[in-house]
Amino acid sequence: MAVAEVQSHEKTLKRKNIRFSPWRPGPFVLLVPALASIGAISVYPVLLGLWLSFRDTTLASPTDTFIGLDNYRQIVSDGQFWNAWVHTIQFTTASTLLETLFGLMIALVLAERFRGRGIVRAAMLVPWAIPTVVTSKMFGWLFDGQNGIVNYLLRSVGLLQHSVNWYGSPDFALATIVIADVWKTTPFIALLLLAGLQTIPDSLAEASVIDGANAWQRFWYVRLPLLTPTLLIASMFRALDAFRIFDLVYVLTGGGPADATEVLSTFTYKNLFSALQVGYGSTLATIMFITEIVIALIFGVFLLRKMREVGQ
Amino acid sequence: MQPALDQDVGRDKKDISPNQELEDGIHRRDFIKRSGLALAGLATASTLLTTARRGRSAGTNTTEITFSSAKFYGKETIAEVVDAYNSSQNKIHVTYKELPPPSSSTEVHQSLVQQLARRNGDPDVFTQDIIWIAEFAAAKWALPLDDHFNAEVMKEYFPGVVQACTWQGKLTALPWFIDSGMLYYRTDLLDELGAKAPETWSELIDSAKKLTSSGKTKFGFLWQAKQAEVLVCDLVSFIGSNDGVILQPDGKTVSIADDAAVEAVQLMHDLIKKDQITPEDVLSWDEEPSRRPFTSGQAAFLRNWSYVWKVAQDKAESSVVDKVGVVPLPHFPNKKSAACLGGYQYGVNASSKNKEAAIEFVRWMSSPETQLRFATQIGLCPTRSAVLDDPKIAQEQPFMQQLKSVFIGAIGRPVTPKYPQVTLVLQSEVSRALTTGNVKAALQTAKDKIQAIVKT
Repeated sequence: MAVAEVQSHEKTLKRKNIRFSPWRPGPFVLLVPALASIGAISVYPVLLGLWLSFRDTTLASPTDTFIGLDNYRQIVSDGQFWNAWVHTIQFTTASTLLETLFGLMIALVLAERFRGRGIVRAAMLVPWAIPTVVTSKMFGWLFDGQNGIVNYLLRSVGLLQHSVNWYGSPDFALATIVIADVWKTTPFIALLLLAGLQTIPDSLAEASVIDGANAWQRFWYVRLPLLTPTLLIASMFRALDAFRIFDLVYVLTGGGPADATEVLSTFTYKNLFSALQVGYGSTLATIMFITEIVIALIFGVFLLRKMREVGQ
Repeated sequence: MQPALDQDVGRDKKDISPNQELEDGIHRRDFIKRSGLALAGLATASTLLTTARRGRSAGTNTTEITFSSAKFYGKETIAEVVDAYNSSQNKIHVTYKELPPPSSSTEVHQSLVQQLARRNGDPDVFTQDIIWIAEFAAAKWALPLDDHFNAEVMKEYFPGVVQACTWQGKLTALPWFIDSGMLYYRTDLLDELGAKAPETWSELIDSAKKLTSSGKTKFGFLWQAKQAEVLVCDLVSFIGSNDGVILQPDGKTVSIADDAAVEAVQLMHDLIKKDQITPEDVLSWDEEPSRRPFTSGQAAFLRNWSYVWKVAQDKAESSVVDKVGVVPLPHFPNKKSAACLGGYQYGVNASSKNKEAAIEFVRWMSSPETQLRFATQIGLCPTRSAVLDDPKIAQEQPFMQQLKSVFIGAIGRPVTPKYPQVTLVLQSEVSRALTTGNVKAALQTAKDKIQAIVKT
């Protein structure tokens, strides 16, 4: 009885070995659908974009020739590109910093125990759950130059003499878009940081209290260093996302006034889809792609260093 | 935990009736069976339908063509008009493919370009915004129609529209409907002032200043300066009213930095900053944001399209019902008024495999009867002068006839196959001119950029 059992077990093992031996194509065949779909929806478009960036393809005219790096040269001397580039960097930096800061504050509060914490945690996520186009329209009304509540409030407390046309003024338009983005996306950062805070053992904070640390010291010397990897990951996500900002700008200002809110995504969209300059637009998209990789790499380096430190 | 769960399940099983148990047991298989049946049914039905249609086509020699248009609707939809055509005769059967509404103009343009660039003859007939005509003609996507519609026939249409439908001497589009920018004004306020509807910009500024300084209205004159296509429409009428042009008819000479144009853009800037009869808010306003204050009674003058008339007469939306008049936009001294021409026009795909049928169809679509139908049922203003005078229109859409003088004076936007690129430059540079006040410099930059675009 026992022998038979062992034998049958060996048999199964053997059969399993044969079935999953590397010589058999079976398992690799199973990978084909996944590889094919990733190839079709992600690798192929990127390569196609790269290829198009070396051509002068426009949809509405017969031109379609290989022009080497001409598109890239043209971009370097294109004032509108640099204008959009500066705005994108400004937007990314401002929104990432503000969102990380506010997100951290919210996360610290929500990590404490208090009555109704569950409700507050859920309520905090509402702005993030609202579709961006709705957010855009909402802020469009809030900051409306004539009937907006922001103007009304600022005027009633005496901070403003006249109503400001927030989205029609080159000085304020981008800042107003940053505010809308901060409102919308801070919950996302807060959520990530909250998750990070919960992985830090309470015992460390307790130990520091016994050592006589006050609240600030507990945060600065115990929790913050341990939270840094999460902070870096969260702000990397945010920075990569903010760099692609499109919908808020598209709905609120369309890039105006006087290109004051033009960012790389809207500029690329205009070239690709309004003017149908597929070649030039693809070059812009490729440059955005490369910049995104650079941003990810910078964060990645910091992240690895921090993780090693924390690991030690 | 585990045993308790088992017990629960056990008790549940005892409670349910044998019948229900049976149903549960076969539920999944049954579902598969039923969905299989449904699928089979669907397949059969669609096969039957296709056969039926083919049978009909084969039986009566029907030519199948396709028609793509942006979505317009009123009392009727375009699909219903197409159906009416299909049932009016049995030689040609048109399949209608709806594109997004004209408010999503970029998407409409995109999908048309994608379809036409394939050169496979689908769609056979399409409708195009007036600003794409040159682009589609230069790409040889639009079939020249001169052989089928001679100059004599084309005299029945407004000359401005026919000109816009012509590219390098060839008629490549057939007029459908016309729209244009116009000046709306408050008749009650001007009566109080003892002024008449303004004909020149200085008359408008004068009346607007009087009305705003006496507190009769909050705003003098509203128009649109958002960095978008509408800014170019406004630009065309300002420059045109000073006898200037953006791009000469040769499509190569750029005149946006000439004195006439600079003077006109300076006026646009001054209306906001110097005369202050236009609020700075217009810098971020397109059509609707500028329409709302006017129909709620806060403004004396408004530049907008013909749709505002209907809104202004609607008691639910407007507080100025019966207090609104329409005239052509004002002009500079001793010059002519100029309105920006808009509207969608028909085109026939140059790769169409059924050109004769396609031309038959557009002939019907552009006929006086169908134009009248579009006017009364969907509110699209006819491009045939005679149709506009039809008593039926006077009855159903009385405002259209008041607009006749506006439509006759309407002029087109720059005609070039590179228009999509040109308009982006204009939007950005004119927006800059209006916000910074450096009109000359901005227009010079615009000129340099446009020259680089159109010379290739």
